[in-house]
Amino acid sequence: MTTRADVAGSDEFEEIDKAPVRTYWQLVRQRFMRHRLAVISLVVLAVLIAYGTIVPLLTGDAYKDASLQKIWAPPEFPAAPLGYDEIGQNVFVRLAKATQTSLVIGFAAVLIIIGIGSFVGSIAGYVGGKVDNALMRFVDIVLTLPILFIILMIVGFFGQGNVWVVIFAIGLTGWTLAARLIRGEFLTLRESDFVQAARALGAGHRRIVGRHMLPPAMSPLIVAAALGVADAVVVEAALSFLGFGISRPEASLGNMLTNAQDYFIRAPLMVVWPGVILILMVLAASFLGDGLRDALDPRQKIET
Amino acid sequence: MGQYMLRRVIQAIPILIGVSMIVFLIVYASPGDPTDRFRTPRVPPEQIEALIRSYGLDKPLPEQYLAWATTFFHVIDFNNSVNPLEWTINWPAWGYSFIDGRTVMDKIFMRLPPTILLMGTALIVTIVLAIPIGILAAVRQYSWTDKIITTAATFGYALPSFLLGTYVLWVGGVLVSQWTGGQFGFPTFGMESLGSRGDPLDIGMHLVLPVTSLAILSIAAWSRYTRSAMLEVLHQDYVRTAKAKGLPRRTVIYKHALRNALIPVVTLLGLSIPTLIAGAAITETIFSWPGLGSLFIDAVGAKDYPVIMAVAMLSGAAVIFGNLLADVLYGFVDPRIKY
Repeated sequence: MTTRADVAGSDEFEEIDKAPVRTYWQLVRQRFMRHRLAVISLVVLAVLIAYGTIVPLLTGDAYKDASLQKIWAPPEFPAAPLGYDEIGQNVFVRLAKATQTSLVIGFAAVLIIIGIGSFVGSIAGYVGGKVDNALMRFVDIVLTLPILFIILMIVGFFGQGNVWVVIFAIGLTGWTLAARLIRGEFLTLRESDFVQAARALGAGHRRIVGRHMLPPAMSPLIVAAALGVADAVVVEAALSFLGFGISRPEASLGNMLTNAQDYFIRAPLMVVWPGVILILMVLAASFLGDGLRDALDPRQKIET
Repeated sequence: MGQYMLRRVIQAIPILIGVSMIVFLIVYASPGDPTDRFRTPRVPPEQIEALIRSYGLDKPLPEQYLAWATTFFHVIDFNNSVNPLEWTINWPAWGYSFIDGRTVMDKIFMRLPPTILLMGTALIVTIVLAIPIGILAAVRQYSWTDKIITTAATFGYALPSFLLGTYVLWVGGVLVSQWTGGQFGFPTFGMESLGSRGDPLDIGMHLVLPVTSLAILSIAAWSRYTRSAMLEVLHQDYVRTAKAKGLPRRTVIYKHALRNALIPVVTLLGLSIPTLIAGAAITETIFSWPGLGSLFIDAVGAKDYPVIMAVAMLSGAAVIFGNLLADVLYGFVDPRIKY
């Protein structure tokens, strides 16, 4: 770690010079680590991602294997810790595949949301004026649409059970918040000194936006992304629950719940597993978002 | 104020038109068309062509949109009079359902009262419970009460509605009846039992589970909101003055602090009005409640375009109205706001 003493050797300020200089990201990490809840959420999320990646990788298509002999078979360690469901599928493996599907859809949808949101928001915030007005009117219109209904319509019409349709439906309806955030940041950044300096030096628009304005505007976007993952996962599960999203034999947390509804009396735990995973995912992503918001906020005092 | 409302209504019109365009585009762009039902091997292609021409499906897109929009918005017959009492509802304005041929307005108006009943009851329960809970948490900030309430609210806020609905269904329907040895269980589907003919007690029993599921979510959200609004107010100078004056705690909280803390809550109330109509489609489906939300979901499943478009437009209009109501209420309740 470089200290100020290495950089500028002056005898009078030895105390201060020995203080370590921290980069912005080191400060962010330091602030983040102070939030126990956010750190725990990060760990939980990592475990869920590992569960959703490793188990499907090892078992491949086994989540689709239905077997008459194994209907409602009790748990067997280590292959089937959660037993078997009503058509003989391994619950543990199926749950892992469902987790993977939910996570993939969640992250992909958020990528689309950030992509469209940044694009629209940056144009609105940078150009301003009439273009800004028109784009914000468009945002208002999208906000007035009943989101669940529109998503249902898109998925219902354009292909049920198609993962990409679900991703695009969620992405195309959820970008408004990201757009507003970026627009707000850009409207402020536009007047800041370094942007004006860049413009005075003759930098083109693309360079100004891409290299000077977007990076500082990232922080609220990252927070919105974390919370957006939670939201997207819930929407996907709701769609599958209603029968519009992923359907058998594919696995999704939503459709595992729908199937479990018929077996409340015989196998009540079937309702618990997908629910627990879903709740964990949502809570972890939400707390992570909160922690990130506190960690990235530049308005907090900088410690040394 | 009147001028402000007029301005808002005028601003709302292009938004409504924009919403109608998007809804129309989604329906129009979907694969297939209304003549799909007739494309059987028996029907000769010329008749299909004639059908397409009679539906106007071969006309260019903007023309089809205009045709749809003019019939769609032609809801009121003015009957050549300026007197609102002489206006009548143009009944088939929203078309006929593809599923059973009834007018769309018929289906919607039949499903509207159950939805309003469900959401209205949930809203009342929420207000009655969430505001005191929020006040309690704010007044006892940092205490165990506050921590428990905040944790529970955060947890409840994150629960997806269909998950909560399923668990409420399980506990209230299955577990309760198991614990009482099969004697008693909350009804788990529909609005009334067979042959009860609108018995309020029966409907009330059917309301218990869906309202519980809806209310838990709203209470979590509202109590957080109330708590933070209350906290903000409690740290103000005039509250400190009131306490210093020696006023009883009750007076300080309810007469001085609460009134001002309720301002954002009133906004929340206004914004909740649209949900009275657009409702909780998922909860209605879980509990087979015959409301507007489940009507929409069934219609999407059956590709019943007239119903789909009408309900989508109705909820869009409800959102606009709700936003306007929230702003008006806000201006009404907060004397500092001048429109």
